[in-house]
Amino acid sequence: MTVTSSPVLQLEQVTRTYRQGEVDVHALRGLDLSVGSGEFTAMVGPSGSGKTTALNLAGALDVPTSGRVLLEGTDLASLAAHQRSRIRRDRIGFIFQAYNLIPVMSAFENAASVLALQGVSEAEQRDRVMPLLAELGIEQLAHRRPDQLSGGQQQRVAIARAIAAKPAIVLADEPTANVDSTTAERLLDVMERLNQHHGVTFLFSTHDDRVVAHARRVVTLMDGRVHHDDVRA
Amino acid sequence: MMLLRMAWRNVWRNTRRSVVTMASMAFALWVMVLYSGLVQGYLGAMEDDILEMEVGDLQIHAEGYLAHPNVYDVIDDPDAIVSALHAQGYGAAPRLLAGGLGASGEASAGIMLRGIVPELDATVLKVADRVDQGTWLDASDPKGVVLGRRLARSLGAGPGSELVVLTQGTDGSMANDLFTVRGVLDTISDGTDRAAVFLLAPAFRDLLVLDSGAHEIIVHRPRDVALPDAEATVTALAPGDDVKSWREIMPTLASMLDATASLMVIIFLIVYLAIGILVLNAVLMAVFERVREFGVMKAIGVGPLSVFTLIVLETTIQTVLAIAVGLLLALPVGWYLATVGIDVGVLGGTSVMGVSMHDIWLGQFTPQLVGTAIVVLVVIVCGATIWPAFKAARLRPVDAMRYR
Ligand SMILES: Nc1ncnc2c1ncn2[C@@H]1O[C@H](COP(=O)(O)OP(=O)(O)O)[C@@H](O)[C@H]1O
Ligand SMILES: [Mg+2]
Repeated sequence: MTVTSSPVLQLEQVTRTYRQGEVDVHALRGLDLSVGSGEFTAMVGPSGSGKTTALNLAGALDVPTSGRVLLEGTDLASLAAHQRSRIRRDRIGFIFQAYNLIPVMSAFENAASVLALQGVSEAEQRDRVMPLLAELGIEQLAHRRPDQLSGGQQQRVAIARAIAAKPAIVLADEPTANVDSTTAERLLDVMERLNQHHGVTFLFSTHDDRVVAHARRVVTLMDGRVHHDDVRA
Repeated sequence: MMLLRMAWRNVWRNTRRSVVTMASMAFALWVMVLYSGLVQGYLGAMEDDILEMEVGDLQIHAEGYLAHPNVYDVIDDPDAIVSALHAQGYGAAPRLLAGGLGASGEASAGIMLRGIVPELDATVLKVADRVDQGTWLDASDPKGVVLGRRLARSLGAGPGSELVVLTQGTDGSMANDLFTVRGVLDTISDGTDRAAVFLLAPAFRDLLVLDSGAHEIIVHRPRDVALPDAEATVTALAPGDDVKSWREIMPTLASMLDATASLMVIIFLIVYLAIGILVLNAVLMAVFERVREFGVMKAIGVGPLSVFTLIVLETTIQTVLAIAVGLLLALPVGWYLATVGIDVGVLGGTSVMGVSMHDIWLGQFTPQLVGTAIVVLVVIVCGATIWPAFKAARLRPVDAMRYR
């Protein structure tokens, strides 16, 4: 059990049941999880244990069947669709497994897209995004389109986009599933550094043990519940 | 601004599909503009010929004249009706009609005499504009006549030729007189081409011994008056006479014009429906192959309206380009069709329902026609875009991410 001073994300007795034809699939069956500011937490568990579902709920992409999901104290289910859309833009960073980027936009434009949506001027986008790209080691690729980037480079752009607007939490669903293990290690190094130097809160799912090794807290899901919650020194 | 930039890039993302879509839109517009211009030119020329050269909008006859035309059944006081109509802004002109025989040199032919008052006739018909050789009737030449095109040909007559006219006077006497051909008309209608002999009203009255009355009054309505309203007005002014609109006088022509116009609309619809399906397919493909992308966009906070706008912008760009290209390509061809036209003279003076086709078929391109073709295209494209755009806008990111 983790006790954190200021929880960014709280899932309380969350259930999520999908209706699939005639049967109900109980993806989450009373999940309790609290993520504090500055955490670097991995969510693990067998395929189908509910990791993606939990991240979708945390990311205001979906609403629970029952229970509450609070982001910075706000119950996401109480918000209208456009309000959830705004919360996602302003308070949450997303890194998906693949196809993260908009193919017709350059690496820079992709990384700056959340800022652009917020109405940040192009000059300021440049001032804020270019250093990030430099820190992620892809500064010189800024003008390239996604199809001219390797899988690892694409994920770095996605990381830049996710943190550019300084969200409360970055949610990453198997961010390394589509890259080789060396690249995965490097991506984790980068995420860890951002966590340590900038205090970015990360919650990511994975089933790669080498990725898990970077986490300072490992939450294991099983059948839609927390099975283990392991905080490391 | 960002959306417009994205839309522009998305258009060129699948260049082949976009080019095919734009090319078909442009082609449809091109076809529709030229086709409808030609049909409009055809219908317009036919209507002009018939209405402006021959029939007018409305005609007044003595009761029973149309069923059994004869020189005795006249409108009693045509001048009163004509001046009353002129006072109301209508064009009106009396005509005197009789059959007879015309001879020039060795040749002779049945003729239709048409006695007219040129100044009045000019307020209803434009026969004077259709003189091919020589000149139109003039009061200074009381014995001058103007012949229909084929009549002149079969009599071997031209300007300066003498024409002997034989007919029966209203007093029962044999009437004959010698006239001089002043002019020969271009093609107007079967009847006119084959038999018409235009002469001045006084000459007609002398020849047939007809002191007063007229067989026919041709009426031309003011531009802003609808045909049925004009018919009511004229009927009120000519009680006891028989008032008919051109649609009643030439019912087959009226229905043929209607049918041609509806056929044009149907072809319009078919072509545009095909284009609509093509665009719908292209937009659907563009949307469904980008479901994940829209999912990502919506996940990071792009609103449904922006997604909708993006897709609409993409088709808008393609439509605007297609319209530009379509019009650019239609312009020279349309100009050619409107000025040079298609030479159908090889068909040998074809006539459709008694209306002679001109040797040259000219297209008629009005801004309204081009505008309609564009507006209909835009409406169809909008119709084909809205549903896929709406689908994309409504996508839930969670579902979109699972989509493959
Ligand atoms: N949209 C959905 N409709 C139906 N069943 C779903 C849907 N999403 C997930 N599931 C089911 O819910 C369970 C949990 O899935 P998921 O959260 O994706 O697990 P994980 O990410 O840990 O593999 C699985 O049994 C999965 O098949
Ligand atoms: Mg998953």
